[in-house]
Amino acid sequence: MTYVAVSGGKEAIEASIKLLDFYKGGTEKDVEIEAIENKLSLLVDRVMGEAGLYSKTYAALAIKQCEGSMEEAVFLLRAYRSTLTRNYYTNVVNTSEMRIVRRISAAFKDIIGGQILGASYDYTHRLINFDLDKEKAAELRREVLDMLGAQEPEEISLCPRVSDELRKEGLIEQYAQDDKPPHDVTMSMLEFPADRSARLQTLARADTGFISGLAYSALRGFGQEHPTVGELRCGYVELCVPYPLDEQEEIYIGEVLLTEVECFNKADDKEQLKLAVGYGAVFGRNETKAISMAVIDRELDHGGPYPTQNEEFVLMHGDSLEMNGFISHLKLPHYVTFQSKLDAVRKTRA
Amino acid sequence: MQKRRLTRILAKMDKRDVEVLAADIQKIYTPLIVKEPGKTLAMVKMRDPVKQTLFYIGEVIVCEAAVEIDGVQGVAVLMGDDTEKTLDMAIIDAAINRCVFAGMDKLLNYEKEQNDALMRENAMHLKTMVCFESMDQEMPHDLAAFKKA
Repeated sequence: MTYVAVSGGKEAIEASIKLLDFYKGGTEKDVEIEAIENKLSLLVDRVMGEAGLYSKTYAALAIKQCEGSMEEAVFLLRAYRSTLTRNYYTNVVNTSEMRIVRRISAAFKDIIGGQILGASYDYTHRLINFDLDKEKAAELRREVLDMLGAQEPEEISLCPRVSDELRKEGLIEQYAQDDKPPHDVTMSMLEFPADRSARLQTLARADTGFISGLAYSALRGFGQEHPTVGELRCGYVELCVPYPLDEQEEIYIGEVLLTEVECFNKADDKEQLKLAVGYGAVFGRNETKAISMAVIDRELDHGGPYPTQNEEFVLMHGDSLEMNGFISHLKLPHYVTFQSKLDAVRKTRA
Repeated sequence: MQKRRLTRILAKMDKRDVEVLAADIQKIYTPLIVKEPGKTLAMVKMRDPVKQTLFYIGEVIVCEAAVEIDGVQGVAVLMGDDTEKTLDMAIIDAAINRCVFAGMDKLLNYEKEQNDALMRENAMHLKTMVCFESMDQEMPHDLAAFKKA
């Protein structure tokens, strides 16, 4: 297909952009960035994950700027990110040291460290709360601060992974630590077969809807058997970089909230002696995405005839910016190419 | 005190409290700005626990700054876009490296408050810990039983 540049419509475009303000100006009430950060935090988390950039404030700004459009917000964050240098790489984050806020296992009811439900909508009635319309944010803030102040402090202890125990028993494959520098998909193109690091980075940045749909297809029959969530953990991990004046030391730069999942599948070794494991990790609280990532990771390892088992299919079609950009281009003028299609039909009919 | 611990305390402090500590230093010393505070990125490196490989999960926005007090440098790198707090942290770091920082006791107090707040938050999460009671005959689906089997 060939493309022909056309010009014109400058004033119409300017008026169109101006009209966006008209659509956002339907009320005198404003949505403050701090409110988006805290009251729409799951949306903020999703935007950060798909943008591959953890910045709650900027994600909230982006959401506000584009009327809550996921794809536009991801685009804005990615575009902004591309204007910055990257001067640091963190030391390796150890999620075993996560400060847990939620941790569940569908494989074992008794796990060391316990199952912590944390904050979850899983156990709520899905009924609209019409009283929310009258909610007083300041009062709610005071209430939660009072609730926090009334707590008896509890020592924070680390939770071992569920898979660690199975690994010790030889029920899961043990791998030696691999310190090979990771592939960075933001710096170099994906190549196939993809390095595991490229796979995990691509899936962590992928569109939640895309990989959830893929994982669902695998569960419905276009993949292996139903996996079991060995462990889902959500919590804060500390980020450190080497201290620039003495690389022997490290400095704390902040913490990020992550969701991490390990899924257990039936054994795939010839003797059927070991369980297979799929892995998922994403920014923020996004459990469906983390589970889907773990399901797909395992499907890709397994290989086979289904879409979820095809590395190129999975890794090349789930990036929010790329897929939405390409689909969006269909609505741009295609006058010349469409005329040729029309001519071909007319000639055939004649 | 190790830099990691020190920077954790400072990073979690309110920017006004950090400003007060930096202002105390500036009453006596005039820090020279070596690197103006500015935004950059840090790539987050993770280890996949399944196959033990490294991968990048994404980036964070950080601010960095460097200053000098009497020829001794101090630096700060902090998540977010708070350039003022980052500069103040760099001043405190320089003062510590120059061995003229007098606010270590205050930092320890802040750390105590921070840990206390975290432990209170932890208490709320621990209240959601499940205590299972099987309604049917116990099946070998707990970890100990699984291992024995």
